Amino acid sequence: MRRAGLRGEISRASEVRVIAILQAIFSGLALGSIYALVALGFNITYNTTKTFNFGQGEFLVAGAFVAVSGLLLFSGKGLTGNLSPEDVTISRYLLAMVLTIVVVGLLGVVLYYAAVRPFVGATSLSWVLSTIGFGIIIQNSALTIWGPSAMVMPSPLGREVIRVGGAGFLPQEVLVLVISILIILCLDWVMRRTKIGKALRAVAQSKNAAVLMGINVSAVIVLAFVVSSSLAGLAGLLIAPITTASVFMGLSLALKAFAAAIVGGLDNPRGCILGGFLLGLLEALIGLWHAELREISVFLMIIIVLVVRPQGLLGQRIVEKV
Amino acid sequence: MKTYPKTHFLGLLAVATIIGVGPIIFDNDFYLHVAFLVGVNYIAAAGLNVLVGHAGQKSLGHAGLFAVGAYTVALLTTRWGWGPWPAFVASGVVAAIFGVVIALPALRVKGPALAMVTIGFGVVVEKVVSEWQDVFQGQQGIYGVLPLTLGDSSFSTREWVWFAGAVGLVLHLMLRALLRGRFGRAFMAVNTAELAAESVGVSVYKFKVLAFVISAVTCGLAGAITAQQNQYISSDFITFNLSIFYLVIVLFGGKSIYGPLLGAIVLTILDATLARWPDAQHFTYGVLLLFSLYAMKDGLAGAIRSAAQFLFPSLREMPTLPKPSERWKLAREEAIKEDQPMLQARGLYKAYGGVVPTNNVDIDLRAGHIHSLIGPNGAGKTTLLNILSGIIPPDKGSIVFNGTDIGALPPNAVCRLGLGRTFQNLKLFNDMSVLDNVKVGLHSRLPGGFGTCLFGLPSAQKSERAATKEALSILTLLGFREMAYQRAGSLPYGLQRRLELARALATHPKLLLLDEPAAGLNPQETHELTDVIKTIKSLGITVLLIEHHMDLVMKISDHVIVLDHGEKIAEGVPAEIQNNPAVIAAYLGVEDDDEEQELDVGEPSDRSIDFSSLSLPGEKYA
Amino acid sequence: MFKKSMLARIVAVAAFATLSIGAAQAQDIKIGYNADQSASGVAELGISGRWAFEAAIEDINKKGGILGRKVVGVVRDDLGAPPKSIQNMTELIDSEKVSAVIGPANSGNALAWLHIPQNKKIPVIVPIATGSDITLRYAKEPQNYIFRVSMVDREQVALLVAYAVKASKSQKIAIIGDSTGYGQGGIKDTTEILKLHGVTPVAVEKFGSKDTDMTSQLNKIRDAGADTVIIYGIADGTAQVLRSMEKINYTPVTLGTWGSLSSLFPRMTGTKLSEQLILAASTTEDSNPQAKMLADRVRTHFPTLTTFPCAAQSYDSVMLLAAAMELAGTTDGPKVAEALEKVSGVQGIIKTYDKPFSKTNHEGLSVSDFYLAKWKDGKTVVRYEDEFTRSITAADLKR
Repeated sequence: MRRAGLRGEISRASEVRVIAILQAIFSGLALGSIYALVALGFNITYNTTKTFNFGQGEFLVAGAFVAVSGLLLFSGKGLTGNLSPEDVTISRYLLAMVLTIVVVGLLGVVLYYAAVRPFVGATSLSWVLSTIGFGIIIQNSALTIWGPSAMVMPSPLGREVIRVGGAGFLPQEVLVLVISILIILCLDWVMRRTKIGKALRAVAQSKNAAVLMGINVSAVIVLAFVVSSSLAGLAGLLIAPITTASVFMGLSLALKAFAAAIVGGLDNPRGCILGGFLLGLLEALIGLWHAELREISVFLMIIIVLVVRPQGLLGQRIVEKV
Repeated sequence: MKTYPKTHFLGLLAVATIIGVGPIIFDNDFYLHVAFLVGVNYIAAAGLNVLVGHAGQKSLGHAGLFAVGAYTVALLTTRWGWGPWPAFVASGVVAAIFGVVIALPALRVKGPALAMVTIGFGVVVEKVVSEWQDVFQGQQGIYGVLPLTLGDSSFSTREWVWFAGAVGLVLHLMLRALLRGRFGRAFMAVNTAELAAESVGVSVYKFKVLAFVISAVTCGLAGAITAQQNQYISSDFITFNLSIFYLVIVLFGGKSIYGPLLGAIVLTILDATLARWPDAQHFTYGVLLLFSLYAMKDGLAGAIRSAAQFLFPSLREMPTLPKPSERWKLAREEAIKEDQPMLQARGLYKAYGGVVPTNNVDIDLRAGHIHSLIGPNGAGKTTLLNILSGIIPPDKGSIVFNGTDIGALPPNAVCRLGLGRTFQNLKLFNDMSVLDNVKVGLHSRLPGGFGTCLFGLPSAQKSERAATKEALSILTLLGFREMAYQRAGSLPYGLQRRLELARALATHPKLLLLDEPAAGLNPQETHELTDVIKTIKSLGITVLLIEHHMDLVMKISDHVIVLDHGEKIAEGVPAEIQNNPAVIAAYLGVEDDDEEQELDVGEPSDRSIDFSSLSLPGEKYA
Repeated sequence: MFKKSMLARIVAVAAFATLSIGAAQAQDIKIGYNADQSASGVAELGISGRWAFEAAIEDINKKGGILGRKVVGVVRDDLGAPPKSIQNMTELIDSEKVSAVIGPANSGNALAWLHIPQNKKIPVIVPIATGSDITLRYAKEPQNYIFRVSMVDREQVALLVAYAVKASKSQKIAIIGDSTGYGQGGIKDTTEILKLHGVTPVAVEKFGSKDTDMTSQLNKIRDAGADTVIIYGIADGTAQVLRSMEKINYTPVTLGTWGSLSSLFPRMTGTKLSEQLILAASTTEDSNPQAKMLADRVRTHFPTLTTFPCAAQSYDSVMLLAAAMELAGTTDGPKVAEALEKVSGVQGIIKTYDKPFSKTNHEGLSVSDFYLAKWKDGKTVVRYEDEFTRSITAADLKR
């Protein structure tokens, strides 16, 4: 019910503002959940090997494109082509998710053996360059197979904007948020309650002790890379209906996820998750105020947080033993 | 490391000739352009190598500093009518300022967080120049940037190649001179073992900032040269890929002084050549990167050196040691009277949450004496040592050392005043030679500031020769002179401990704090250590040592201080302490007939008890 | 003896063959192509231009080449980066010794290397980049070596603004553009041309080219009361703007640029939403049979072709260049540039070019070649007409 007159005007304007803020918060949380997934991936490999995949962005790309091709295949359209909204049903989307996890996870195994294992432990930063090099190879393979054009992935939940009050939400944003939170809770449970999770945490704390306890450390580390890569691939699959699948989408997303992990505390999984959501929210809210200042303010804020708390919000301060 | 000054000079001459004559013979503008790019990339990478390779601060944001240099020159010449040469110089200065800006937050963080801070800096600069279009014109760019001129006419492509080459040559000479002397060693020390470096008088803070500033200046100048040669700059030139590219040049080339040159040459030419095959370009780049990392762990320079040493075994020889000179004497500006108060600490208190490792402790150390600090594990001995040497600031209390209040000073300042220390867990500069480790200890005592070293002035060279001489005599004193050129990390454990001691002696301490110098030594080595400590005393150095080897303690100490649970429970001459009931109770618990053991004193027989095996439950403080 | 003469004959034939091959190669005419094909959002434009470039050269060689000599295309990928683009230009001109260059795709790259072909007197025809300044930088020089066959921003904007001022009831018009050089330049041109109509935009907003949510900017535009919005971006950016408009339930008169001719656009917005945009177009593959044939030829190399106009423009650029060289009777730069300003009657894909260039005009396509269009069924672009389009006269096309 609209109240007439000046008071009506003001309440209408503030209503619009509240709606805009709510919309921004929701989009921010959805995007933030993507950052959280990828950040978690960084955390898992960092904890077990003190390295992480600098080419993680390209795994996002791989995930998105593998999913697109998967969906095309399931719709009988071959490996390349255009997806129309009818092709993407929920069951096919879930199948594509499984396909992505498997393929990109396998890619993670290759990454570990080709680009990480030969350089673990070296004090130099060889693993940074080697993972970057591996990422370049992946990006170019994707370019060769799928070309530089962006590919549209229709959302399995359709395009109709969901209207709540005056605010509009994309169904895909809802899906992203729900699936991401499910995965995060699942992983959290696995890490804390299952044997394999404990094994992972043990290896993270001390490899030597883990070996002595009979844990197959190599297998656990490979698993860590599989999980980390799958998370990135999954993130690509989830975000593609919102942004389109493009060979160039990886770098910026991975960079922000990395920033989120560092701000939250790279060695703390819950910190990484927190960092992801925080970053997504921050981006959205600053975007509301001054869109072009978004990236600048986000990175400035990251620098400030690190100066005040170098270990990240939930990270552990490493004290050098004297 | 053997140096080959004649070879180096000839090499320099050869390069200068190529740079000078090449552009005249190969007049093709494209080749000239590639050569110019090699020069620019070298300039940027040479400075970045100091930061990344020598000081160990991996930066992924130096495109931001390139931008600073480029836009300074662009804005000064197009908006404020500056001439091209003053603008060029100004770009270096402004870049140096931004080097400090990026250094300050970077100082606080390590590892991935450092990478993040530098990435953040790079991204912020990139976004500022592309979004703030009123000033920086974003992607449309600023054109009409004034190029450098010779007389009235602006540089031709050939003259740009000469200019870049000249700047590169000068930079090479300066950095080589700088890195071969005490600055180079200091950077390496900061890279390898920061805390140790700080404790021997190297201001970690200053050196990190210096490394950032050097890299900032060279990257800024590279940006300025690029902008002036193109006469155009836009935000498209500033990308994350540029930061990565510079880092790749440095890491691919290796951290030797020739690394950036090799990296710049190979990668620039590769980049230009691969353009012929647009379809294979990127792919090849990625594969090459991976392959080079497998095959060349020390970068291209390292691989060439290994190959050269393999082909010419004479290159592997260590330089010959000069003949031994007179015994090392510690030069003193003023004489220290025996027995005068050396250090007076009052009411030292430190708490970490509920844990109090230091609880209202007073310490008096007298010149010329050997003091020992003993107590069960977890008594707070190392914490006390850390407080005295400046690594941990006390919550309460004062420390006066030789008349100066040192409570608020950083460790390197404390060291300069004459308070040296060794560490319980060895903190050697493992990748440096034994001799260099000791020379780092001499760092604060060597004359020659930044400018002197940068320009390789004779006084710097003289100071370097004196340092070698003194370091060798310290090694002679401690009996392992022949190991001078061995890599510190390859020494057996006992000698490593001795090296730590040698390094501490090199700081010309008046007071030397030794943290469990006998830890892990066998009885023979412990006996030798006793002699060494007596030698140190004879040099006029006051000693405070933490030890668990009771026979060592009782044999050489003039004065023993006992700590337990953070408090001083007794002090006095060894005989008093042995019979002090409070001390006995602290080590062994309340007297129990079955478990009472006797304290042996004097003979190094196998009945002496190593008290480190009788540890009481107690927290271990970091 | 028999062997000796046989040997001599073989040597003679071999020598002659080598000399003739060498001579023939020395006679080939090289034309360079320098555009992004792999590294940014415009890569697909660069690729479609490249294959059309190659097709044109093929066609010319089939007809006997230029001045009886074979034409060879030298292709370089500039990775969307100015330093690389500059390097490619020096390589093409100084090392490969091309007689002319076709390119680039990014306006920013063109602005970075314009001075090189101008100083070296090598003609350049720009087949894709639309930044207005590109052909104007050296307009006052005795000979401007930079030409273009593309939908130059200024001309597109003239058409869009002419429509906007007629269709807008409240004369409250807003501009939203991406933050790249393309969007920047477009916003500038739009603001200036609106001023020629006596209109000041009520809001000017920017978005990042990879952004997915422009609701904040659109809210500000809506708050300013705009009933007409001009979007300056390429296909994906424009599509995201429209999706954001849908999110906040805001449907002003929406105008866009040729970037949305890409088939990516309707796929991203969905069929229904794609029909909301009125865009500037010049040619599509259904415009005429030759266009269809070219599109099919390009597709054999580049199956995911989305932006046909770039192919057509690239093809026509080569044709114009060939005609100019024939007219000048030489490949000498200054003479070819002069001839370009005189050629006429050249049959291209987009149209037949009758004296497209002159001393003062280096734009092969102008607003008279453009029309307003809309997407239909998400599959084809069709000419759009309504009361406002019909009321546009030449006088309204101020620029």
